[in-house]
Amino acid sequence: MNRKRSIVFSLVRGLAAILIALAVATLLIFISSEGESLAEKLAATGDALRQLLIGPLFRSSGGLNTKNLSDILAAMIPTIFTGLGVCVMFSANEFNMGAEGGALLGAFVAAMCAIYVPMAAGIHVVFCILMGAVACGLMMLIPALLKTRLGVSEMVCSLMLNYVVMYVISYLMNAHLSDKSKGQIQSYPFESTAQVPQLVDNGSKLSWGFVVAIVFVVLIALFMYRTRWGYAIRMIGINKDFAMYSGMKVAGVIVLAHVLGGVLAGMGGGLEMLGRYETYAWRSLPGYGWTGITIAILAGNNPIFVPFASFFIAYLDKGCNLMATYCGVPNQLIDIIQACIFLFFAAEQFLSRYRQRLVVKSTQEELRLKAASVEGGESNA
Amino acid sequence: MAEARAAAENSVEEYVVQMKGITKVYPNGIAANQDVDLFVKKGEIHALMGENGAGKSTLMKMLFGLEQPTSGEIIINGEKVNLTSPTVAISKGIGMVHQHFMLVPSLTVAENMVLGIVPKKSGIFIDYKKAVEITKEYSQRFNLHVEPDAKVMDIPVGMKQKVEILKALVRGAKILILDEPTAVLTTQETTELFKELIHLKEQGYTIIFISHKLNEIMEITDRLTILRGGKSMGVHNTRDVTKEEISRLMVGRDVVLSVQKDVAKPTDTVLKVRDMEYVNEWGKKMLDKVSFSVRKGEILGIAGVEGNGQKELVDMLFNLNTPNAGTATVNGENILGLPQRKIREKGVSLVPEDRMVFGIAGDGTIEENLISDRCGSKDLNRGPLFNMNAIHDSCKKLIEDYLILCKSGKQKVKMLSGGNIQKVVVAREFSNDPVLIIADQPTRGIDVGATEFIRKKLVELSRSGIAVLLISADLSEVMELSDSLIVMYGGKIAAYFEDTRELNDEIMGEYMLGLKRQPEEQVRRVCHE
Repeated sequence: MNRKRSIVFSLVRGLAAILIALAVATLLIFISSEGESLAEKLAATGDALRQLLIGPLFRSSGGLNTKNLSDILAAMIPTIFTGLGVCVMFSANEFNMGAEGGALLGAFVAAMCAIYVPMAAGIHVVFCILMGAVACGLMMLIPALLKTRLGVSEMVCSLMLNYVVMYVISYLMNAHLSDKSKGQIQSYPFESTAQVPQLVDNGSKLSWGFVVAIVFVVLIALFMYRTRWGYAIRMIGINKDFAMYSGMKVAGVIVLAHVLGGVLAGMGGGLEMLGRYETYAWRSLPGYGWTGITIAILAGNNPIFVPFASFFIAYLDKGCNLMATYCGVPNQLIDIIQACIFLFFAAEQFLSRYRQRLVVKSTQEELRLKAASVEGGESNA
Repeated sequence: MAEARAAAENSVEEYVVQMKGITKVYPNGIAANQDVDLFVKKGEIHALMGENGAGKSTLMKMLFGLEQPTSGEIIINGEKVNLTSPTVAISKGIGMVHQHFMLVPSLTVAENMVLGIVPKKSGIFIDYKKAVEITKEYSQRFNLHVEPDAKVMDIPVGMKQKVEILKALVRGAKILILDEPTAVLTTQETTELFKELIHLKEQGYTIIFISHKLNEIMEITDRLTILRGGKSMGVHNTRDVTKEEISRLMVGRDVVLSVQKDVAKPTDTVLKVRDMEYVNEWGKKMLDKVSFSVRKGEILGIAGVEGNGQKELVDMLFNLNTPNAGTATVNGENILGLPQRKIREKGVSLVPEDRMVFGIAGDGTIEENLISDRCGSKDLNRGPLFNMNAIHDSCKKLIEDYLILCKSGKQKVKMLSGGNIQKVVVAREFSNDPVLIIADQPTRGIDVGATEFIRKKLVELSRSGIAVLLISADLSEVMELSDSLIVMYGGKIAAYFEDTRELNDEIMGEYMLGLKRQPEEQVRRVCHE
């Protein structure tokens, strides 16, 4: 199939997935919407849909809503990192689910460094985030080494590890590190030197972390497609036996993939923590790791597509929040809508007949062209 | 083609299978068949010939309901059919024996025979006795001898094939498709199979026979259809065409079927294997005191029926498995138990038997597959980054040198035909300055053109001073290419022939089937110091 047709197909397919999901969403919103008569219900549904689809970007008056836009971009910071981390791990065909606990650990370690390790402005924040990243990288050594040395399933191991990390941190916070003068479990405030500077001043918490995230998208894309290590990760992901036979250090590269994935997730957690909050007060898993998995799948494990997938999800989240706030649509609906979209995106056979028709058309054209050029060549001769 | 169609319409009853104007486009855009016609008469053995990638398998998959044609029609016994699944095809009397047997190794022959059509006792229990009876009955009727109570994993390849044929017959097949049935058989087994096939033909069964081997086609078939590049090159009466004509129609040019090579002048010993022993996980001794040497500038062939220790031997040499005893050195240095990277550093290259498992990463591009063993080399890297231009240039050169047919180096390897995939493997393995090349079944299941190319390359490399160890189940290939040759049987070296020139199939067959064995001293001569 030629390039143009496959792009057309991808677009049509993506659009169709979204449209079907929206149809389902519309139905659900309609059912749950408030109103006495049919007309009222329809109006409420229309209002809710408007909030969902264009609310995140445009004011009702029509102008661009910069506050909402920066909210969305800010929400992308941690999920770009977890998405990248999951991309790296999944590319090696290693289904590490630990980005969730990783983001939490990264945030916690960064926060502790921000409180207890005073440093000069400028390097303090960098140090905190690096420590968070390193801690999370070390954490991923557990599933990685268990996998390569003992053949333990990395998926089960990392999944459980999330909760180990969460409860250990809970214990530390409860017993030793919380600010006892406060009514809830929270840490002492971060040093001001450790805070990630804000990019815009509208209260949206869009910090320089966003710029760092975009830089890392480029770096990780380069790493995966332009270095021997990224190449080894991808080849191992495609065919481990082939990689071994070719003389690659398979176990070492697998460990590298886990650790790098962990470093990225930890960095995302750290940037989020120091960019958005002033004290550490998380009491459960933040959800960024799960979202990272979704993003990696939507992006097809290609780092370049991660910010787009991340934007898409952040946009949808925002839209649903607006719906919940202004139209009384239950927030849980977002899960249903998201599930519908992913279902159709992930379903390989979705629209496969349409694809086959395009393929046949392309091939036939190609064959005709070839035949014509052969005949042409002969008549010239 | 138009005449063929007209002729077919005149005498419709004559044909049991009519495939008209079949076109098949796969989801990856490859047009495997373009307007292909296949007309098979009742009670004939009809050969379907063509290089790999010519579309034979695709055409047969459609006839067996595994794939559906994009356009065209299939008529069986005068009735237009829509073969949506193998179940439908079987109900129309079509049976297929695949190249790779579809049997359950841990079950007995009789159990395999009735799989899916199990005779029941009082509706619940499996009636094993009945299964054995059915097996015996069919086995006698068609003169295909099998042992109903033996487990499939314990029986020889030849018998497995008979089980497959019987399986199809039990299910009521009148039209049998045999996909390269002789690829895994010895000369003797092949002769036996041919007798059985003729017996079937005499009883009114129709056989479609897929093969690359011209001799066999000439010997057994009545008519033949040749495919090339997804198109039909016409149908011929076998007795009216010569081998040379067939191969020209298949390849589109004259093929040199025998390799020209001058006498080897072997020098220093490169690979030295001594007293290698291996007992597999089921306690079977697969390698029994195997000792041999390969010298610079020679091709040492290992012949033998598959499953006599060749695979295990190669596994040991490339550390895919660990021997129980013995040594192996390359230029005096041990290679056993080293990581593959170290083995490659010592100059050992391997063309693996199973190219899809070890040879390639199917979802990777051609370029990615060509650099897998050298991705860390200075030439291809600039600091921490790949030097994309250098990679592109060196791959482009390999693609040209090794005649890999592709749109570009960025194409996915799995989109290529079998022969071209093998050329990718060979291009990589031959181009990393090896001192020893282990070529394990280097031309299995690939087309004549690619086979010829790879064989020539092997000879060329050996004459340039590289030691070559060639393992092949294709008898004519080992005999033709090797300078000297060992035969493996039951994990032992059964014979050593210093000069392959006066050998023939008959002598080889006796050693390969274990009927004869050379005395120890004679075999020991293969150990050069």
